[in-house]
Amino acid sequence: MKAPGRWLADRWLTIGSPIALLVLWEWASATGILRAVFFPRPSTIAWHLRDLAADGTLWGHVATTLVRIAWSFSLAAVLGVAIGLAMGLWRRLREGLDPVFAVIYPIPSVLFLPLVSFLVPPGEIALVVTTAVTSFFLIAFTTTHGVTQIDRLVVEAAQHYGARGWRLFAAVLLPGALPFIFTGLRLGLGFALIVVVAVEIVSTSRGLGALLWLSWQVLKVEDMYATFFVIALLGALLSYGLVALRARLLPWVPDVGDR
Amino acid sequence: MSVAVPVAALVLWEICSRLAIVSPRYFPAPTTVAWTVGDRLVAGDLAGGLLVTLARLAFAFALAAVPAVPLGLLMGIARPVRDLVEPYVAFIFPVPKITLLPFLLIILGVGEPAFVLTGASSAFFQIVISTLGGVQTMDPRLLEVGRNYGARGARLFWKVILPAALPSIFTGLRLGLGLALVTLVAVEFIAAKSGLGHLVFRHWQMLSTPEMYAAFALVGALGLVLTRGLRALQARVLTWQEDIGV
Repeated sequence: MKAPGRWLADRWLTIGSPIALLVLWEWASATGILRAVFFPRPSTIAWHLRDLAADGTLWGHVATTLVRIAWSFSLAAVLGVAIGLAMGLWRRLREGLDPVFAVIYPIPSVLFLPLVSFLVPPGEIALVVTTAVTSFFLIAFTTTHGVTQIDRLVVEAAQHYGARGWRLFAAVLLPGALPFIFTGLRLGLGFALIVVVAVEIVSTSRGLGALLWLSWQVLKVEDMYATFFVIALLGALLSYGLVALRARLLPWVPDVGDR
Repeated sequence: MSVAVPVAALVLWEICSRLAIVSPRYFPAPTTVAWTVGDRLVAGDLAGGLLVTLARLAFAFALAAVPAVPLGLLMGIARPVRDLVEPYVAFIFPVPKITLLPFLLIILGVGEPAFVLTGASSAFFQIVISTLGGVQTMDPRLLEVGRNYGARGARLFWKVILPAALPSIFTGLRLGLGLALVTLVAVEFIAAKSGLGHLVFRHWQMLSTPEMYAAFALVGALGLVLTRGLRALQARVLTWQEDIGV
């Protein structure tokens, strides 16, 4: 273990520069070098965040967004892993669906909102389904790739030992694809946050995206910054927290998506 | 199979729509949509929308790539720069970039600079992170061999570090372009009054569904051309490296 002094000496720039920036921002905004209308003082933003949290508005919006993410992610995960596995196992299905996926995948999910709202009852369900679209494709893609990248030799060896059908799938193919499935799920969860915020901006009055957008429309700039901070925190939690969680719970499963 | 399934799906949709098994008001037949695409591309809002989106994308991508690649490289070779910049990149990268839009709207006013910058921001962080990753994950033996042959400073950078990081840079640029398109179209859908994203929104509100699907299809085609085209280009230009970018 390194001594704490040494640790600090290694990181002083990483820790110091955001603090210095906040102090500088506070000072510049207080003296009017930065226009406080656009760049309110960090301390003011912190007070507004406290107020939003104290009267409960913030928690309501956070809960709404989290519930939506949970539903969308579950939907995308179940369908994505199932279809991804099927595409990995059956070449004909893969060849058939590949071109369809290739066209649909790059389309921004928000654009699916009109389409989805024709298909299912508009409102909460349409919102959840729209949010699930991009995550679904991402999870299906990585799962398919996870199955197809398994070494042919491993599969053949297993077959020589008599593994067939379900046993081959459960003992060889699924564990082999697992790292990719996990990476797909992690990326999918990150995308669910991105899309849900965009969809909330477009179509609802509740949730963090809606809070941000409504704060802009009535020019409550401090609330905008406070909401942004909460969204960023949620993003960090979903993307870095999940990596840490996997490293703790499933240390033998490598993450294949870390660029 | 790869031709049969999409064709079969389209034919099925066509029949269902023509026989009014699904409501043709909400799901117009593919031939109707194709006709609309052709019609509106020649004389209509679709060509204009496509051009506006392409122009915004070009600006956003250039605004992101030009500073992001040098910054990523600098972070890779200079430890203090990395320490200084990394907390901000790590903080902003997982945030949905569309949330930057309202801030840019109040600071820059409602208009092109705010739209384009929002798109650029989503590409910027991706390119920085990929470029930095390319320098950090390069084989250290390459550096040693380069040094042993007397490469120092600028020579080491141009002859060893940059070529080794190039595949990651390219991957970053490719992913960045895709992200910029996604964010820009979302921005158009939400706030702008022009571009393909806005066309989908407007025709949705007016319930002119053939036009809506036409704009939708064009966005898909644009995304397909960009992602597939760049991947093919990457495979051609950088034949010596395998790309595993998702």
